[in-house]
Amino acid sequence: MKRLLVTVLFVLLSTGLQAQKKIVISAEDITLEVGEKLPLEAYVTNNGEKTEDRVRLFSRDKKKVFIDSVGVAHAFLPGKVTILAITAGARHSFDITVNAPAISEIKIGNIPERIYKGSPVQFNYTVIDKAGLTRKDVRPQLSSSNEKIATIDPFGYVHSTREGEVTITARLDEIENTVRINILKNPVSNIELEVDNGEGRTGDVFHFKATALDDNGNAVVQIPIRYSFNGIADDVSTTASGLIRQDGSFVADKAGIYTVIASAGVASAQKTLRISPRNIQRKIKTVGQGMVSEKFTSDLWVWEGEDGRDYAVTGTWSADGTAYFWDVTDPSNISRIDSIQVDARTVNDVKVSEDGNVTVISREGASNRKNGLVILDTSNPRDVKIHATYDKNLTGGVHNVFIDKGYVYALSAGQKYYIIDIKDPKNPVAVSKFELDTPGHSIHDVWVQDGIAYSSNWSDGIQLVDVGNGIAGGSPENPVQFASYTYPSGDNHAAFPFKSKSTGKFYVIGGDEVFPYAENGSYLAGGYLHMIDFTDLDNPQEVARFEIPFAGSHNYWVDEETETLYATFYNGGVRVVDISGELMGDLLAQGREITFFMPGDPNGFIPNMPQTWGAQLHKGHLFYSDMHSGLWASKVEPPKAENVKIKTK
Amino acid sequence: MKRIVLSVIFAALFSVTALSQNYYVYVTAESEDEVSVIKFDGKKAETIKNIQVGVWPQEIEGPHGITVDPSGEYWYLSLAHGNPYGRLYKYKTGTDEVVGSVELGLFPASMQISPVTGLLYCVNFNLHGDMVPSTVSVVDVESMTELDQITTGAMPHGSRISSDGMKHYSVAMMSGELFEIDAFNLKVARTLDLDEASKGLVDHSTMDHSKMDHSAMDKKEEKPKEMDHSKMDHSKMDHSKMDMGGMKHSAFKPTWVSPHPSKDLVYVAGNGAAEVLEIDTKTWKATRKFITDKGPYNIDLSPDGKYMVVSYKTAAKTGIWDLETGKELASLDNSQKVTHGVAISSDSRYAFVSVEGKNDDPGMVDVIDLKTLKVVDTAYLGKQAGGIAFWKVED
Repeated sequence: MKRLLVTVLFVLLSTGLQAQKKIVISAEDITLEVGEKLPLEAYVTNNGEKTEDRVRLFSRDKKKVFIDSVGVAHAFLPGKVTILAITAGARHSFDITVNAPAISEIKIGNIPERIYKGSPVQFNYTVIDKAGLTRKDVRPQLSSSNEKIATIDPFGYVHSTREGEVTITARLDEIENTVRINILKNPVSNIELEVDNGEGRTGDVFHFKATALDDNGNAVVQIPIRYSFNGIADDVSTTASGLIRQDGSFVADKAGIYTVIASAGVASAQKTLRISPRNIQRKIKTVGQGMVSEKFTSDLWVWEGEDGRDYAVTGTWSADGTAYFWDVTDPSNISRIDSIQVDARTVNDVKVSEDGNVTVISREGASNRKNGLVILDTSNPRDVKIHATYDKNLTGGVHNVFIDKGYVYALSAGQKYYIIDIKDPKNPVAVSKFELDTPGHSIHDVWVQDGIAYSSNWSDGIQLVDVGNGIAGGSPENPVQFASYTYPSGDNHAAFPFKSKSTGKFYVIGGDEVFPYAENGSYLAGGYLHMIDFTDLDNPQEVARFEIPFAGSHNYWVDEETETLYATFYNGGVRVVDISGELMGDLLAQGREITFFMPGDPNGFIPNMPQTWGAQLHKGHLFYSDMHSGLWASKVEPPKAENVKIKTK
Repeated sequence: MKRIVLSVIFAALFSVTALSQNYYVYVTAESEDEVSVIKFDGKKAETIKNIQVGVWPQEIEGPHGITVDPSGEYWYLSLAHGNPYGRLYKYKTGTDEVVGSVELGLFPASMQISPVTGLLYCVNFNLHGDMVPSTVSVVDVESMTELDQITTGAMPHGSRISSDGMKHYSVAMMSGELFEIDAFNLKVARTLDLDEASKGLVDHSTMDHSKMDHSAMDKKEEKPKEMDHSKMDHSKMDHSKMDMGGMKHSAFKPTWVSPHPSKDLVYVAGNGAAEVLEIDTKTWKATRKFITDKGPYNIDLSPDGKYMVVSYKTAAKTGIWDLETGKELASLDNSQKVTHGVAISSDSRYAFVSVEGKNDDPGMVDVIDLKTLKVVDTAYLGKQAGGIAFWKVED
């Protein structure tokens, strides 16, 4: 009891003593200029008496203000930053304000050589401060010296109404920059507008070409021509939406009458188009299902075995490390023929060699934390055996794999992929790896086709790597990156190449993975498919998207022969999309979705709740895996004859 | 007689008190993306709540490390997997709502808050990365700001604060080092080569036998397999075939360090060497070696300083040691394979031991009575029970 009392007394005393401790900062109302350093004096008082206690200072925003180990504040960027002061048993916080540096320069750019009356041009401006920083938090005032000749709006557009000289001024604080421009007589008296087709369907891309002509019928080449459109949809409750680009390409989303206008100053021309419904919708029929109701299902692969029969393998997710093998020769009678269990909790990915004899499954959640690959002998899918396990450099978990011509491309710990020679499947040997060198780089998937590895690298986007194609001299032993595309959201999760026969264009379809959808949790995924035109490898352009509201993209498959995309959208099921012809704009809005299916099952692992993982077309049947209900086979019915209306349940 | 009567009354009172108390721990289920609250009433252990963690329902984000702050108001959780960096989450105890998060390094794992600095120190395990030095993240938990990353060794694990709150200890699993960080100025103060420290104690010719607890060694003579030090002879190992990335590859393979609650001692689990080393932090030298079962992984010391409880990951057992005598009081079978973490109740009465299992085995928490040295009960939770933190005991 005595000991207890002493302890309590000690605690009370300690608390009491600590409560009197106070950190004192010599100056709390601190304002610094960018680049300035200030030694901060901080000490501790105890009951008003200065002590020898150490005080450590930390910035809560080191990018703006950094406090070094001896307590000197370094101001890097403008803003207000909270500084935390700590001593044993006490803490205190205060702010340092870093003033925004004075503006030193306003740069004006993008000034056309010739500006013609009535033809709007847009100036760019950049504000630079004395610290050399580009300032986006301030806007200069833009003005014209003679508004009877030209005015300038806050977005930098110069609108001219007369010929003559005028000075455009950008001013901020005491800094200004001026540019003298001469508004010329607009030589354009007429515009000729041509289009490659007079009518078409929603989703078809039209190419307009406008030529500005002077009074003599000569082309005026250095004049900006602006394209715009308006329209009236056939469905009066729908907006006649579409997309027009300033290169003259146009696509309509809805059926209706659209008018495209090209203008240069007061001269303009227009053409009107009749846009019909795309009308490519078809029915999809469920043919069969290989139910997995006892655990989550992950990826799938379908192949023809050496015996001529058709087989599939599916993985399992957050479960017991099992992969299932199926006979899918008769898709209406899918039967589970074998399974294999490895030391894992998730078999996230499954891939099969071209001849079907070797299957590689990935491992995550191994009990010894050594994940990696398991290479299987699937020469007889009814009696699957393990060739080898392989975890060198892969212990962090293999999220995705691909097999191509005797090599496995295996992700390692979400940061890189190794290329592993499995020509002797019992003795796999890593021959190389591919890894970016960007800060915080990560990777989610890799897909190989025609000697090119398409990897999906989240914020580093899609990376194209020559692993035997020859385009950049690469090989599996020497992977060579030769093209890439990133998009601002940083959500790139999958990539699939698509060589469009109908257009000759080379697209790569980049897929997002986003959770949760907007601010809501649960199983609603977000994200969509990005259609990226890689025809010019040095200058890839994102041209279109396929997005399903309230659902998010996952994996997909392209049938180049029919130019059809089969995409899984988690809670949005499986989607079949017409990607024929040139791609531009919002593919869903254009009516390019052929059909969809939501594979909910009342007896599923989670009943009646689609969560579709991946899709593959095989011998005319669409196979897809659903996390909650296993393997499915469907058949997209042929297009119906025109003017034939079929109504069935 | 009077003494006996008093003892009986005291025992009865103690028994009533113990029975009327409820103990609560937080445990991670690393392959389920869940944290479970386990309640133990002295007899029965049960999961009373499962808290889903992370934001990606279709990715396992791997809740690994967990700690409750000294005030018991908040608990903190490290999610190992990100793109590529993991995150630290802050939850309110009781309501278990998320109140903040911050990105840390690669595979953030174990952590603890210093009651003196108020800062949280979390090792970035980088478990599956290259053999390169990783870091300890230092976080201001008030604003959930990462203040600094302190470079230590390859695959740092175990992250514990000294009883005075002024020193942080961690070990580097692959480079075989013990790191002491000044929790205040955030600099590495000292490092210790644990392979060498271990060898130093094995070398009997240079040891002062008078200070050795031979009784502990006597016991170990009954287990000759575990005393077979020839297996640790590096000169006989073919290191040429090992991919060490230019860095030392520790055979000792330390996975945990726990400071003594009142003495200048820390205890380091040598997962590869099947031993626990006692390090005197005044002399920075190993002073005792506890030969353990296979795969000692985590350690916790009872707050009264009497017991050391060690999870034997490979052996699927838990060892309970008397720190004074250096004797292993019991080696108890756990309920399944892959024993992971240990948390001892604030009254030094019970040890809560998480057990991962394999494949789709449920995670388990075995509750061990440190008086009777028996497993009292087992609670079940999601797959791969790992990080474990004692929350509170209440009447």
